Amino acid sequence: MTDTTAPAIKTGPRISGAFHRLLAFSGLIALVVGFSIASPNFMQTQNILAILQATSVNGVLAIAATLVIITGGIDLSVGTLMTFCAVITGVILTYWGLPLPLGIIGAILAGAASGLVSGTVIAKLKVPPFIATLGMMLILKGLSLVISGTKPIYFNDTPGFNQIALGSVVGSIFPGVPLPNGVLVLFAVALVAAFVLSKTALGRYTFALGSNEEAVRLSGVNIDRWKIAVYSVTGAICGVAGLLIASRLNSAQPALGQGYELDAIAAVVIGGTSLSGGRGTVLGTLIGALIISVLANGLRILSVAQEWQTVVTGCIIILAVYADILRRRAL
Amino acid sequence: MTGQGRPMSAHGGAQPLVAMTEIDKSFPGVRALSKARFELMPGEVHALMGENGAGKSTLMKILSGVYSRDAGTVLLNGQPVEITSPRQAQDLGIGIIHQELALMRDLTAAQNIFIGREPRRFGILDEGQLNRDAAAIFASMNLKLEPTVRVETLTIAKQQMVEIAKALSYRSRVLIMDEPTAALNDAEIAELFAIINRLKAEGVGIVYISHKMDEIKRISDRVTIMRDGEYVGTVPGADTPIETIISMMVGRTLSNDALVIPNTTNEPVALEVRSLNRGREIRDVSFSVRKGEILGFAGLMGAGRTEVARAIFGADRRESGEIWVHGKRVGISSPKDAVAAGIGYLSEDRKHFGLATGLDVRNNVALASLERFTGPFGVLDEAGMQREAMSYIRQLSIKTPSDTQEARLLSGGNQQKVVIAKWLLRDCDILIFDEPTRGIDVGAKSEIYKLLNALAAQGKAIIVISSELPEVLRLSHRIAVMCEGRLTGILPGGASQEEIMSLATMREPATAVRHAS
Amino acid sequence: MLTRRTLLGAISAVAMLAAANGPAFAQDSYDIALISKGFQHQFWQAVKAGADKAAAEFGANVTFEGPETESQVDRQLDMLAAALSRQPDAIGLAALDSQAATPLLEQAKGANIPIIAFDSGVDSDIPLTTATTDNVAAAALAADKMAELIGGEGKVAVVAHDQTSRTGIDRVEGFTNRIEEAYPDIEVVSVQYGGGDQLQSTEITKSILLANPDLKGIFGANEGSVLGVANGKQELGSNIVVIGYDSGAAQKAFIESGVITGSITQNPVGIGYETVKAAISALKGETLPPVIDTGFFYYDKSNMADEEIAAVLYD
Repeated sequence: MTDTTAPAIKTGPRISGAFHRLLAFSGLIALVVGFSIASPNFMQTQNILAILQATSVNGVLAIAATLVIITGGIDLSVGTLMTFCAVITGVILTYWGLPLPLGIIGAILAGAASGLVSGTVIAKLKVPPFIATLGMMLILKGLSLVISGTKPIYFNDTPGFNQIALGSVVGSIFPGVPLPNGVLVLFAVALVAAFVLSKTALGRYTFALGSNEEAVRLSGVNIDRWKIAVYSVTGAICGVAGLLIASRLNSAQPALGQGYELDAIAAVVIGGTSLSGGRGTVLGTLIGALIISVLANGLRILSVAQEWQTVVTGCIIILAVYADILRRRAL
Repeated sequence: MTGQGRPMSAHGGAQPLVAMTEIDKSFPGVRALSKARFELMPGEVHALMGENGAGKSTLMKILSGVYSRDAGTVLLNGQPVEITSPRQAQDLGIGIIHQELALMRDLTAAQNIFIGREPRRFGILDEGQLNRDAAAIFASMNLKLEPTVRVETLTIAKQQMVEIAKALSYRSRVLIMDEPTAALNDAEIAELFAIINRLKAEGVGIVYISHKMDEIKRISDRVTIMRDGEYVGTVPGADTPIETIISMMVGRTLSNDALVIPNTTNEPVALEVRSLNRGREIRDVSFSVRKGEILGFAGLMGAGRTEVARAIFGADRRESGEIWVHGKRVGISSPKDAVAAGIGYLSEDRKHFGLATGLDVRNNVALASLERFTGPFGVLDEAGMQREAMSYIRQLSIKTPSDTQEARLLSGGNQQKVVIAKWLLRDCDILIFDEPTRGIDVGAKSEIYKLLNALAAQGKAIIVISSELPEVLRLSHRIAVMCEGRLTGILPGGASQEEIMSLATMREPATAVRHAS
Repeated sequence: MLTRRTLLGAISAVAMLAAANGPAFAQDSYDIALISKGFQHQFWQAVKAGADKAAAEFGANVTFEGPETESQVDRQLDMLAAALSRQPDAIGLAALDSQAATPLLEQAKGANIPIIAFDSGVDSDIPLTTATTDNVAAAALAADKMAELIGGEGKVAVVAHDQTSRTGIDRVEGFTNRIEEAYPDIEVVSVQYGGGDQLQSTEITKSILLANPDLKGIFGANEGSVLGVANGKQELGSNIVVIGYDSGAAQKAFIESGVITGSITQNPVGIGYETVKAAISALKGETLPPVIDTGFFYYDKSNMADEEIAAVLYD
């Protein structure tokens, strides 16, 4: 579980990074065990699939957010960008009636383009990431409403579309395990993102920027270009999230999306990625996203009142970050 | 990767590697360089010396592409070049090791060295190659360091070595080292010098910026001295007496305003510091200040003066040492304790630590004494605050339209006075001023000087830390000089700049330290 | 080690706490899960109150959940999926998007869990019945009252919550169609959407009032909208007629003080009550009508205290 995401470093304090993931992972296991004991309905195939399905969109968004957060930035627009990409797909497939692959490409390109804009505003105009992406969040929310005419765009004319999230390639091979494709997409995005972070120059600069931007600049690296690239990749991943949610709902819901960035950031933070940049892993984020959905699902299965579900989730976020602080102090 | 096996370039009589002439550079409001010049031969170690602010670092940042010059020419191997970015400087074979280490703490040593030029295979980073290349450089430096260790976990000295390895990895023909030994111990310095000598033998030209005279004597072939952004002269390193270099650095043009120095030797001691220690920064520092006395602290950047002040004030933890106030030992572990003991600290970075720039003058003055103005139910006595603020505005002649003016709108000198008022209102009778006139224009400076003299005359004990020698000389009754965390001597007020500079550049305390009391 | 133990301990403690707090599953009472469109909003809390009342009356365990905002369609699906995993005896659903819910409804059907639709209903033949307000008729009543109050002529406007949900569409259409058909001298000059957000609706109201100084009245199509209208009216010192929809403490206070002349109220308590009651009937094998009208009322200062009205108003 460690080798896929750590940037190929085996000595020294990376162990503590692995330790933190272990910590988050242990937390996840503890939750699963706890809920399984508390209710026989929790550990059922159907329910585990429901949890994974519920994780898919937030997981993909959280992976997107992980990249920019490692650079020491933040992207508040991931939620509404996801919606925007879904709407773009709706326009391509339903309004224009173009074939499915174009809709998929369109969503990812729209995401990348939006990330390009955010990245450019941040790198070239020197607008702080928080403000730049806050602005983008609202711009994209508004554009989604404008383009869609504030009505959901349904994909009834594109029969295969909902198979992206709801179909099950795994299930057609192993009938007992109808793992939704959406979950496969999540895993695929995670693998690709982990690969990019650990094995490519883009990944290296992502960590380097979050670690000491000035030092990267003095090393003669074109930091603006790489920063823009990171935001673009984040945007493209949001495009994938847009496809997933649109496919799952069989519609592009233009009003949805705001607030989702906070769940994504929560998953990133629970997963041990530092908001001050320089460190973080995709696997940690994945576990963070799973913790959030397991918690929500388990508490619902136990019929815990909704008010208290929210309180518990808040506590878990603070605990996770506190554990991270303790770990740093011990360093 | 290391430049080993490169053919030796011809020594002596060859054309210079670098020739910089007539270089001008201005920053908003400051003329940093004026017709500066510098020349570097292949295989030469050329030291660049000057006081703080003389323009050494600026000149080298121009050579390494960090800054662009306003005027002048730079010749590299006889060819004029425009160096517009650090990347381009590297491509031209110019490497720089910055004074503030420019490393990415979360990355490994190898990743740091090759940032921006990672070996790739099919577009994917080749981590194995990266680590092998780094290991080869470390081996050539005789350095025992794992390429995969994270920089964050290394000592400063080791981090410095990583920086040097990084510069070496560029096959630099020109290597600029800005205070490379600031954080190194003697063994590490010897190691560094061995590396320098090897590079020298390979024909690399090395620019060596340092304040440490003994190092300059040991390592440099030539020394160029700068003062106030201008070129003063170039002398041979080994044969030139230290005094000559110091006098070239200081210049002769300083005006010594006559200062009436009252005899304070009979006043009781207000503050006494005994054997203060804090790692490498503060080493066994002891001194005392009497009531009505101004004790100046001189020394070069990084000598540990601010650290001493912060340790006395409780802003940083001290490892050992006693602080006595008015003959009683006080336990100070936080600024709160220091203030309670009557010690006020005016930090060198007013905007960050001294002044709440968003608040008005009245609230800034009252900030340290708010309890005094807090009535029942926590309601603040605004009238009382106003009264006190107005009284200090008059007393210190703070130029402000009213006590409700936002502090950030005041000039630097008046901001400084507001901070002084804050501590006076808090009944502090021991005041530590860290660079009290930094960023303040000349007119306001003399006003601050007068104010400090007046405060001393009222019986306050005052410590002034300043990097400007004329300022220290003009203000102080006695001058404490620090070098590398040690107090190398305490001179009487009338001391000469040369005396101060020689104490400020002394590596170990000389046997015959002059102590004036 | 300390850190790990701390966190693990805390997480398991939380899990235990959650387990301990969950209601015991009584074997003899029905377990009914209601998935609503919202949660914090007073309207939904009144629906919940009605459901709880029926639960107590008929001896059932009822849980009530809804997403934070009415746009979070996927979050509602997650709630529905978790409810299905719980294997309740029946499910009540106020779908945010019927189509998106279809796969899960099929799953419920496969598991023989009866579905009762409530509020705006579900576009599907799987739910056995729908407990809802006839929003079109209710909004038409608002139009009649508006016409009466402004003397049958002049300009009016509508501030509504959204144009995608069934209630939003029905109330706006119910109002404007009625005006068009029955009152030729009244003109609807503007229909604006404030997302049901009070502040946003305030700003919208002010801009409508400033653009149409001769406006006679505004219809606010839900609680948040009409509160915004009332705020806007007060801030500009206007004396237009305001007709609202739904209730709530603030809205009732505005009616008391005359800022809002009167409002249509659905019967949210009745919606919750009828949903649970219908679920239990279904479980007992009784047949249900396709729609259960849960009713609506017009109320103003004069009849607010009447027992019949007070019972369906909520704070």
